[in-house]
Amino acid sequence: MSYLTHASRAEAFNLDHERTSWHDETLWFVRQKRDKAVYAVPEFQELRSLASAIKEHTLSRLDHYLAQFEAAALANGVQVHWAADAAEHNAIVLDIVRKRGATKVVKSKSMLTEECHLNPYLISHGIDVIDTDLGERIIQLRDEPPSHLVLPAIHLKKEDVGDTFHQHLGTEKGLTDPQQLTEAARQHLRAKFLAGEVALTGVNFAIAETGSVVVCTNEGNADLGVSLAPVHVASMGIEKLIPRLADLGVFTRLLARSATGQPVTTYTSHYTQPAEGREMHVIIVDNGRTQQLGRPDFRASLKCIRCGACMNTCPVYRRSGGHSYDFTVPGPIGSILSPNIDLKKHSTLPFASTLCGSCTDVCPVKIDIHVQLYKWRQIIAEANHLPAAKKWGMKFMGRLLASPNAFKISGKLARTGLRLLPHGLTHNQTANAWAIARELPEPPKQSFREWYQQQAPA
Amino acid sequence: MSSTRDRILAAARANQPAETPLPPVADFGGNASLERFTEVLASIGGTVVRLAAPGALAATVQQLFPAARLVASPLFSASLAIDQQTPVDVLADVDLAVLPVEFGVAENGAVWLPEANMLHRALPTVTQHLAFVLDHRQLVATMHQAYARLPNGPGGYGMFVAGPSKTADIEQSLVIGAHGARSLVVLVY
Repeated sequence: MSYLTHASRAEAFNLDHERTSWHDETLWFVRQKRDKAVYAVPEFQELRSLASAIKEHTLSRLDHYLAQFEAAALANGVQVHWAADAAEHNAIVLDIVRKRGATKVVKSKSMLTEECHLNPYLISHGIDVIDTDLGERIIQLRDEPPSHLVLPAIHLKKEDVGDTFHQHLGTEKGLTDPQQLTEAARQHLRAKFLAGEVALTGVNFAIAETGSVVVCTNEGNADLGVSLAPVHVASMGIEKLIPRLADLGVFTRLLARSATGQPVTTYTSHYTQPAEGREMHVIIVDNGRTQQLGRPDFRASLKCIRCGACMNTCPVYRRSGGHSYDFTVPGPIGSILSPNIDLKKHSTLPFASTLCGSCTDVCPVKIDIHVQLYKWRQIIAEANHLPAAKKWGMKFMGRLLASPNAFKISGKLARTGLRLLPHGLTHNQTANAWAIARELPEPPKQSFREWYQQQAPA
Repeated sequence: MSSTRDRILAAARANQPAETPLPPVADFGGNASLERFTEVLASIGGTVVRLAAPGALAATVQQLFPAARLVASPLFSASLAIDQQTPVDVLADVDLAVLPVEFGVAENGAVWLPEANMLHRALPTVTQHLAFVLDHRQLVATMHQAYARLPNGPGGYGMFVAGPSKTADIEQSLVIGAHGARSLVVLVY
């Protein structure tokens, strides 16, 4: 089976130059807001080191903290479920919903449920599931996946949202004012919140010592959904654990500053026990995570707190859009998570990077993202998933660069060839993808080696 | 046959690396002044109002929210009685909730609102407008100090609230009043 490459999907995104530039500039603006917030905290680099060490420690004793969390949650009256994969997770959710005889489900933002494709599963079983985060609702109405971790509808313009709301919510045609569009969504979703029978949320942090789950939002949709519905189901990946409540001091200081440049999210909500007469469930999901834990070169990717800073800073993501990655988590972090799930399908993602390292620089938990991208490239090459041109090109260049003589001769040929051969041949875009958007520099008359040999000895 | 739980725990045990140390989290100190809190809260869309005297609460609320018809509060005799059993359709009509908060965090304008102060879990987000009442001596500098104030844990349900509900999901344009409170005032005495 063949898959579309990242490059070909990016090409489709780039057809709209104006939108590509807007996307690029808007996300860079978010990166700048992040910088401003970060520079205002003198101990920010220490916080990054702490966060990284806390996550590393947690991963090194994951079995212990999972068991500790489970015991504490059970003691709090929370029902704990375990799911090995997406299918098991979705079946558990459906079972909880059905046991209540419920059909109306409100969901706050959860990348895990996106990863599990929960919505289509519930809908196919007759459950009405409504995404309540504004961006998520917009893309749900448009039947699109999110294109960013924290800005799910960043690929859309207000005109697109206006059209979608006109079609689905009956707003006036041509309405594009974000304030008015948000108000329309508020009214529409209020009715859904008030009627909600089961509330689904993701989990930002799970605290082993207290058995609490913590959800961070700006809109208040998680709290509104959970506190009105009789049943709360929180879905978490096993990597969401942190040992102590005090560790949240570190992570809440890092998360929103890294994500959007806010000092903290509007709501940082701690769910520990269900309200009287109500139910709270936590589903602990593996879905490939223990496998990633077993890869020494890549396990650090499990430290991710899903802030999206690596996307906002990535020159490739900003100019190719989240959908070009064709994976739940796009951008640099998605490119090191996805090969663990399906190496062949996602084999072009680790190449969707300049390896500039900016992702690593901004990561609040110090994941060595660009190093992992480089390591995945080697694994993909060894597994023979490189396109033929890249594979043979690399083999050829490897030989050439290993031999001083071959390098000398081919350098001479190239310098002469570039001068004499027609541009259409040297920059042939079919044979040389590199030349699609680039010009080679003017070839010098001689190489450094030739020049050096001409110099008189000192 | 082993359960999914046991298989996940066994896989974690088999694949996790050698144990690394859990670092202690330092208190980095910082500015816990009301000025800082006020400035940061203003930057995220909230407002601080100084109460002339603790007894001036009801009158100040009346002055700040003259249009609020249905008001819920445990602090003065409000127009609407809310408790944990209040049905959803009553909650849906609340114009204003005036709730006491335990402490504020100067670095980010957040306040700690435990379940015991909410009347109903949904009240802080279902109300159209929100006013918090804060003792000016109850301010900490950072989130480290904030969590140190919760030695018995966060309780059944508790939240840090920093400013009014907001979103920027449409073209990154900031809109105040997404799903939760449309405005937030912290009344400081």
